[in-house]
Amino acid sequence: MVGWIREFGAFLRRTSTTAGFGLMLIWRTALVLPHALAPRRFRNILDLIFIYAIGALPVTLVVSVFTGMILALNTGLSLKDFGQEQMIGRIVAVSLVREMGPFMTALILAASVGSGVAAEIGTMKISEEIDALEIMSISPIKFLVLPRMVALTLVCPLMTLFAGVVGILGGILVSEFQLGVNWVTFKNDALLHLQKKDVYTGLLKSFIFGLTIATVGCTQGLITRGGATGVGSSTRRSVVVTFLLVIIIGYYVTWMFFS
Amino acid sequence: MIKLQNVHKRLGGRAVLAGFDLDIGRGETLVLLGRSGTGKSVTLRHIVGLMQPDQGHIEVLGSDISTLKGRELMKHRRRIGYLFQDGALLNWLNLGDNVALPLRENMLCSASEIEDRVFKVLSQVELEQHADKLPSEISGGMRKRAGLARALVCNPEIVLYDEPTSGLDPISSSLINRLIDDLKSSTQITQVVVTHDMASAFEIGDRIALLHEGKVRALGTADEVRNSSDPAVSQFIHGRIEGPLAREPLPEPQPETETDEGSDPQQKENIQ
Repeated sequence: MVGWIREFGAFLRRTSTTAGFGLMLIWRTALVLPHALAPRRFRNILDLIFIYAIGALPVTLVVSVFTGMILALNTGLSLKDFGQEQMIGRIVAVSLVREMGPFMTALILAASVGSGVAAEIGTMKISEEIDALEIMSISPIKFLVLPRMVALTLVCPLMTLFAGVVGILGGILVSEFQLGVNWVTFKNDALLHLQKKDVYTGLLKSFIFGLTIATVGCTQGLITRGGATGVGSSTRRSVVVTFLLVIIIGYYVTWMFFS
Repeated sequence: MIKLQNVHKRLGGRAVLAGFDLDIGRGETLVLLGRSGTGKSVTLRHIVGLMQPDQGHIEVLGSDISTLKGRELMKHRRRIGYLFQDGALLNWLNLGDNVALPLRENMLCSASEIEDRVFKVLSQVELEQHADKLPSEISGGMRKRAGLARALVCNPEIVLYDEPTSGLDPISSSLINRLIDDLKSSTQITQVVVTHDMASAFEIGDRIALLHEGKVRALGTADEVRNSSDPAVSQFIHGRIEGPLAREPLPEPQPETETDEGSDPQQKENIQ
């Protein structure tokens, strides 16, 4: 029993110190944010945006289209029972823009990009490259964390917009060909009920999710220790922690704006 | 130039440095010897400010390194070059860009001057033909030489070498030894070399220090060490199994950066 309590205490201590480290990382990165505009760093950020977006694009495309289709099919069939299938547009559009789009995109980026960031920085940590940067008087925050944080924070809303659009297109396909709801009816219903608030809340969420993915990835990378096993653990933890944070943060943002 | 006084450091519950004293003069090449886990790399990390002592005083280039923070520490580090065991090159940059990195990031000189200096140091390590290659495309020895070129590109006053010849073929080892020797004779660079290569130690070292149980067990010129009557020294240089050093030390705990961003959050640290 005592051992269990001690272990739990150690877990809490580790979690709180890591969380503190992550928050400090955001703060220190915010302090050097103007350096993102320096030509060399700016080019680096654009490269990363391109790499992250292109890398996640095929998965986002497939997942979003099918999510839109599933959403339309499930709700459409139920609505059809009540003769209300013309309401399908609002349900698909609002769900995707406000909730599903940011959420799906964040999970995809956490798995494909955030884990990569953790593995990349973790490998640099164990191969002494981070130490080498410090000895060369190069701040790892400016050189490594800042570009990744800015790039991911921008990529996430961009990919969310993309996911929303292609998801709605998937919903239109199902509505048109399986539910017999004309795409114009779908569009009109969606535009009538989709509010600006839905769009900016979704984008705000995805902005916060992007920052979360980058912070967790960089934090897990920087605290890596213990060789290849350590890199593996950091990568796995970065995905698990990001998933949990995305769900929790997503709930509170929705609660703040819609409760 | 470098002074360590009564330095204590515990890592993983074990005293790695226990009252460590060392004084290294300007232009001197000092070789640190000792069994694995006796604190040689930890000593180098203290000198460059990557680790802070639990107790004791470390003066490098006239400043107490443990009191330097932020920009001051960064400025200070620009005067020190460090060769890591595996070169620690950034994998996504080619050799030329790796070597140019400290000059570019710290904006120390113009683009043309950077190009000249990079070519010069790459020529010194005979890698000028490979400037466009990525670290993954070259051998371990070449990576180490590129790491050395990077350590030298800012014209440092102190160069620290962590096992510069380990894992190298004899010719590459000789090249590194010759380079260390040339630096010694042509400049006033102070060099601290951690090595297990006895031939190399006797060739390049003005003085040799043998570390044991967190302290300097023996210190002297190559001849003094070679002719030492201390059984520990004799056992080490002849590689005998039996003797005062027979007890296998624990592996050296993985050194952790303590002062900057890359630190383990469980350690006290100051994120820059």
